[in-house]
Amino acid sequence: MDKRDPFRHNVLTSGHRACSGCGEAMAARMVTDLIGPDAIYVNATGCLQVFTTHNQQSAWQAPWIHSVFANAAAVASGVEAALRARGKETPVVVQAGDGGTFDIGLQCLSGMIERGHDVLFVCYDNEAYMNTGVQRSSSTPHAVRTTTSPPGRLSQGKHQLKKDVISIIAAHHLPYAATATVAYFPDLKAKVEKAMAIKGPRFLHILSPCPLGWEHDSALSVTVSRLAVETGLFPLVELEHGELTGVMRLAEPRPVEEYLRPQGRFKHLFAGKEGAVELRHLQALADARIRRYNLLETDTQWDTARAMQSKRHGCGDYASASVSNSPTSEAVKHGA
Amino acid sequence: MAPKLEIEPGSSNAYYTGDWRTQEPVYLNKWPPCSQTCPASEDIQGWLALASEQQWQAAWRKLTQHNPFPAVMGRICYHPCESACNRKHLDSAVNIHAMERYLGDLAIAQGWSHKPLNDHRQAQRIAVVGAGPAGLSCAFQLARHGYPVTIVDAQAVPGGTLRSGIPDYRLPKAVLAKEIDAILALGIELRLNSRVGMEISESDLQNEFNAVFLAIGTQRPRLYSDNHTSNHSVMSGIDFLHRLNGGERITLPRQVAVVGGGNTAIDVARCARRLGAEVTVVCSQDPHGSHHRQQGTEMPASLREVVEAEAEGVSFLYRTGVRRLVRSGEHLSGVEIARVDQVHDRHGHFNPLLFEGTEEFVPAGLAIFAIGQEAEWQGLERLSQATETDGVWIGGDAAGKPRLAASAVGSGYQAAMSIIASLKDESFVSDAHKKAQITFKQMQLHYYPKEPRREGAVNQQRLAGFDEVNKGLVDGDAEHEAGRCLSCGVCFECDNCWHFCPDAAVIKKEGGYEIDYDYCKGCGICAQECPCGHIDMKSMAE
Repeated sequence: MDKRDPFRHNVLTSGHRACSGCGEAMAARMVTDLIGPDAIYVNATGCLQVFTTHNQQSAWQAPWIHSVFANAAAVASGVEAALRARGKETPVVVQAGDGGTFDIGLQCLSGMIERGHDVLFVCYDNEAYMNTGVQRSSSTPHAVRTTTSPPGRLSQGKHQLKKDVISIIAAHHLPYAATATVAYFPDLKAKVEKAMAIKGPRFLHILSPCPLGWEHDSALSVTVSRLAVETGLFPLVELEHGELTGVMRLAEPRPVEEYLRPQGRFKHLFAGKEGAVELRHLQALADARIRRYNLLETDTQWDTARAMQSKRHGCGDYASASVSNSPTSEAVKHGA
Repeated sequence: MAPKLEIEPGSSNAYYTGDWRTQEPVYLNKWPPCSQTCPASEDIQGWLALASEQQWQAAWRKLTQHNPFPAVMGRICYHPCESACNRKHLDSAVNIHAMERYLGDLAIAQGWSHKPLNDHRQAQRIAVVGAGPAGLSCAFQLARHGYPVTIVDAQAVPGGTLRSGIPDYRLPKAVLAKEIDAILALGIELRLNSRVGMEISESDLQNEFNAVFLAIGTQRPRLYSDNHTSNHSVMSGIDFLHRLNGGERITLPRQVAVVGGGNTAIDVARCARRLGAEVTVVCSQDPHGSHHRQQGTEMPASLREVVEAEAEGVSFLYRTGVRRLVRSGEHLSGVEIARVDQVHDRHGHFNPLLFEGTEEFVPAGLAIFAIGQEAEWQGLERLSQATETDGVWIGGDAAGKPRLAASAVGSGYQAAMSIIASLKDESFVSDAHKKAQITFKQMQLHYYPKEPRREGAVNQQRLAGFDEVNKGLVDGDAEHEAGRCLSCGVCFECDNCWHFCPDAAVIKKEGGYEIDYDYCKGCGICAQECPCGHIDMKSMAE
C-alpha cells in the first residue's frame, strides 16, 4: 500500500500509464480520493481501465472490478443488490468514459437509474475513443477532427452535434445529476460530496481534457477545461429530480476561439472560409447554452471567478486522508 | 505438480513513470518586484505573509531584519515597492506603505524591543559618524551581531535628516524618537554634539576603532547665486526645514516662491502653506504623467506629495526656471521666471536652458531654493579619501546623490554586512537582488479574487497646523491589506500543484510540497497552474 502522502489516500496511485497531462487520470484521482478507499469501484472498459491496470500492476488502492464496455452499470447494480442483501452500506461507484456512457453503456445506465440502484455513476468525458486511437463518439463535439471524422474538402470534422447526455439522464428524474470539470476543484469536491450524501442513482459528468486526442500541450489540461466552462461550451449545472437546481455563473464569458485555439483537433477551423463558418457555429452553440442555462444572470454567488480563488494553506481537503488537513474549504452554496 | 494458476495483482508503484520525462518541475522561490525595488531590500512578501496570519510580532521582526524604522518609513517612504507591485495588474497595488507603518506603530504601542542575533559579544569596536538613517541602520545591524558600536553626531539630538529635514505633518518627532530609542537600546553608545574635526579628531576615530562608517548625509545646500551681496529674502530649503524642525517660529511674507522639483521643495512648500503663506513652486521639470516628453524630464518629487500639496493650495509652475531675483533695495519683490527648454545638458548635468521672451514675474517676499544639496566633508578630508581596506566605509546620501531615506537604511545595512565580513576576514557578497525575479506574466492572476485596496484616513483640518496628514490603517484593514499580497514567486500552499497532478507525484508535506520524481511525467500542469509562479519547468535535454 502506497502511503507516501500523509494528506491523501491516493486511491488512484502513481505508476499508472496514462499519457503525460491526462485529464481523466487527474479527474479520477480527485473523485476517488474524495470518496475514499471504502467503496467498491466498477470500471467500464476504456482509457481509465487500460492505463490503471497494465501488466498486472494495479494503480487502485481500493476494491475495483472491471466490467465489459457495455455493462458497467449492470455490474454495479448487481454489486449494490448483493451488498443490500447482506445488509451492507458500502458505496458503489461506476467509472466510465464517454464511450461507456454516451454510446455503448447508455442502455445499462438507463436501466440502473430506472431501477433506482444506490450507485454513483461517474462519466469521465474526453470526447472520443482515445485509447483505441481517437475515434469519434457521440460525445465528440461538432466540427472536431478525429481519425474517423477527418476534415478535408467535403468536411469540417464531425458533422453531428455532441449528445446532450445530461438532459437524457435528467429525464430519468433521478435524485442528482451534475456536470463538473477538473479546473474547479472546490466545485468538483462540493458535487462529489453532495452526490455521496444522497441515496439512489446519481450521475456526475466530468469533462476531462485529453492532450493526445485534443492535441493540446500537456501543461494546458486544466486551462483548456477551464476555458470550456468560461466560453459557455460546457455549462456546469446541477439537476435534482429533473429540475435545474444549480448553475455556475460565468464571471467573465470568453469567446470560443480562446478555447479552440490551443487544441489541434480544431486547427482546421482556422484555415479557411468553411472553417470560419464552423467557428461561428460553435460560438452560436456556446451562446445558446449560455442562454439556456442563464449562465450570465443566474442569481448565485457561485461563479467561475469565485470557484477558482486560491487560498493560503490549502483550498480543499480529502475526507479519506489518513492525517486530516484542517478543513479550510467553506461550505459552497449552490442556488439557482 | 500442476502449475499454480493464481495471479496476484501487483502495484503500479513498481513502475516508475518518471523516466518518461523530458522536462521536470522545480520549486523555486523568486524575488518579488516589491523587494526587488525596495531600497532597504526588505523581505516584503515575507512579512506580509506573517501579517496576513496575524502574527504581528513575527512580521515586525522579519521587517526589522532589514529596516529598524518601520513606523518612520511607513510614513515618509515614497514606496517604490507599490509602483512595482504585480497586484496592480489585477486591481491595485497592495498598500505596503501603510502596512509597514501599521507594524511600526504596533511595535511602539506594544513596546516590542529588538533582540540581538546571538549572545556572542565581539571585541572589535566600530564608530559610526552620523546618527541619521544610514548611520543608525548600520549601527543597528552591527549591534545585533554583537559588535560594540559608538555613534558620533554633531547635533544635540540623533536622527539626522529624519529629524531636521522631515516636517511634522509627515513624521511626528515622537515616532522617530521611539524607533531611535529602540535601536539604541541594543547597547549602542551615542556621543552627541561631537563634530569630527572639532570635538573629536580623525585620527582618534581611526586609533580607537577597528572600523569607521561615515554616514554624514548631505547637509550643505547647493546655493543660487545672483552675484548679489546680500542673501536677504533668500533661503535654502534645508535651512528652512532645519530651523522649522528645530522649533523656530519662522515668520513668512505673504507670498513665497519655492524653487525646485524634488521632495524637499514640496516639503518646504507645504510647510510654508501651514505658516500661512501663498506658495508658488517654480519647477523646471514637467508634471507627473507627461512621459511622452523627453525621458527623465518628469519632476523627481513623489506624485502623492504633489497631489497633497495641490490639495492644500500650493500652486505649481512647471517647466520654468528662475532668470533673476527682482529686488527693490534689499527686499525681494519677486522672481523673474522663464520657460525652460532642456533640463539637463549633453553631459547629463542639471543645466536648464531658459528661453528669451518668455519671462514672467512671480511676486514673492521670500525665495526658498531647494535645488540640491551635497555632503559637507570639512573636518573629514582625510577619511573621505580612505577606502574599505583602511577600515573606512562611506554610505547613505554622502556616498552619492541624495536618495530616499530608505536607500540610506539599505546602505547602512549593506555597510554593516560588509564591515562584519571584513572584520571576520571573509569576502562580502551583497544579498540584495540575487534571487530570480518574477513578473505578472509568469503568474496566473485569475486564481486571485479581486479585492479593493484600503487606505488610512486623511486629516481634514490639516492646514491648521503641523498635525499628521495621513492616519494609519485600522485593525481589520491591516489584515485585509496583508491578505491581498499575491505572494509573487513564493509558495503560499494553495494546493493547486497537489490537486492537479494526474500522477499523484506531488506529495503534500507539513509546510510545503515535494515532487516524487520517480513518477513525475513532466506534463507541466503544476507549473502552468501555480498562481504565484513558484514552479519552473526545467528542460532535461542536456
